[in-house]
Amino acid sequence: MTTSPSDTDTAAHPLQEYADSVAEAVGGTAEIHFDTVKVVVDPSNWVSAFQTARDRLDLVFFSWLSAIDWSNEVAAGDPLSEEVEERFEVLATVGDLTEGNRVTFSTDISKEKAEIDSLVEVYVGANWHERETAEMFGIQFAGHPDLSKMYLPDEFIGNPLRKSFPLLSREVKPWPGTVDVEAMPEGPSVENPEA
Amino acid sequence: MDQDFAHHLSEVAVSVELETPDMTLNIGPQHPSTHGVLRLIAKIAGERAFDVKPVIGYMHRGYEKLSEVRTYPQITALINRIDWVSGYANEIPFIVAAEKLMEIEVPERAQYIRLILTEMARISSHLIFMASYPLELGAATPLFFALRERERVLDLLESVTGGRFHPNFNRIGGVKPAVGSGSTTRKQIQDLPAGFFTQTKDAMGKVLDVCEELETLVAGNEIFLARTKGIGLLPPEVAAAYGVSGPNIRASGVKFDIRKVESYLPYDQFDWEVPVGENGDCWDRWWVRLTEIRQSASIIQQAVDGIPSGPLQAKVPKVIKVPEGQTYVRAENPKGEMGYYLVSDGGSGPYRLKIRTASFSNISILPWILEGILIPDIIAVMGSLDFVLGDVDR
Repeated sequence: MTTSPSDTDTAAHPLQEYADSVAEAVGGTAEIHFDTVKVVVDPSNWVSAFQTARDRLDLVFFSWLSAIDWSNEVAAGDPLSEEVEERFEVLATVGDLTEGNRVTFSTDISKEKAEIDSLVEVYVGANWHERETAEMFGIQFAGHPDLSKMYLPDEFIGNPLRKSFPLLSREVKPWPGTVDVEAMPEGPSVENPEA
Repeated sequence: MDQDFAHHLSEVAVSVELETPDMTLNIGPQHPSTHGVLRLIAKIAGERAFDVKPVIGYMHRGYEKLSEVRTYPQITALINRIDWVSGYANEIPFIVAAEKLMEIEVPERAQYIRLILTEMARISSHLIFMASYPLELGAATPLFFALRERERVLDLLESVTGGRFHPNFNRIGGVKPAVGSGSTTRKQIQDLPAGFFTQTKDAMGKVLDVCEELETLVAGNEIFLARTKGIGLLPPEVAAAYGVSGPNIRASGVKFDIRKVESYLPYDQFDWEVPVGENGDCWDRWWVRLTEIRQSASIIQQAVDGIPSGPLQAKVPKVIKVPEGQTYVRAENPKGEMGYYLVSDGGSGPYRLKIRTASFSNISILPWILEGILIPDIIAVMGSLDFVLGDVDR
């Protein structure tokens, strides 16, 4: 994972102090990615981190929850340039409604046991976001009241946002890309714009 | 009275008392008040609804997956269609996220144009609400007033971007040069169409006028007041926990607007107020949106006066590749907080694009807010939340 180039500057990022204070309160590590405060916590700490965020840090607004499938084999889209550890990264952003602070919490879970505790008890709004993530990534949320399908038909098999899930329309017919783009008359060609 | 008959009567009374099974009422998916295709399954006891279950997904187009196989310039065409009544505003947070990772400084003139068009999208979205909400409650006249002015605003949007609903106008590094300058060989870049600023000022004056008209038409209407005052109360702490944002949470008295706290567009250059409601009922949600139209019109007037000259685009490579990194950029869209969590691996398309839309969280409150409500009030409350199903399902 990269850090923002502004982190490498001599002056600390203006959000660094805030990020550190959040990380200390919830027991995680702070990262700043291009003005986004990200706090990485342990999966066992997931629910308690949000409890602290809501009760002690005034982060009462539940923005969203989702996941990233870090995968070396992709069925649709470009593969990663470097090999990564196979895992799901679960992300959730909460914010306050006064100063404009917002924190994205992150935790890694294994693909073999893709399960994490539900946040519904802390933020009731996590309900639909967790349902969506369960459907799209196949992640189980322990303690969630109803993980039934949200978008897809009930009989649908598979988790579309997993990198191993192919995009069927692309399998049937590859994206034409540059093939159907003709060069402008008397202009530089598409293949070699500098000519 | 005949004793047998009296006995019979008492039996009837008892059986009527006992047999009151709950009725299940299905609303939608094609109901005019659902602004798309939303289905509600409600248990009805008497005149009240309980256990309301929203069923969504009829508009799911899988934009998050599609984004993973497309290039950055192609994605703006997709995300125009998320919230189709304010398509322009959807582009902004995505483009800003990509520019953040590429560390591109957008020229000031382009930022002002973005801001003016975003506020136009807000006015057009809120004017749709001003048209449809009283209509759902039985008042047809405001529709004609609101849609007339909305058309004027859309004409201006179209004159700049070429599209009424799906402008696809932003480019990484700035905005698209105006109509007629698409050729790669042409060096001279055209600016905004002639007369745009005078027409905009004129249109904003008319929008402010129509706000007056709408206020006299609707706010003095006793039926409208009876249908909205004290109906669908939403306490701020419940709204925050559900992630309800935008005018809906401001109507509950939360003075919070992302335009004031984030710097994705130069809103700090202008003098404007964040309207808040008092009670968080349907009436407040209507009033907050009406006031936001006035504030947006005022922002546009100030921006037109203060727009700097200069280029419309920063220097960007011909083939867009976004360096490795991740960020979350959110913006105050007409419906509420819209944001993109963009993860790039240095390629020409994102590795993962999480799309946070306002309407998704805004209607997740439906089971809570519709619990025990009168059946006709379901329509009043749903309409007041102002959602678009494309913005729910993505």
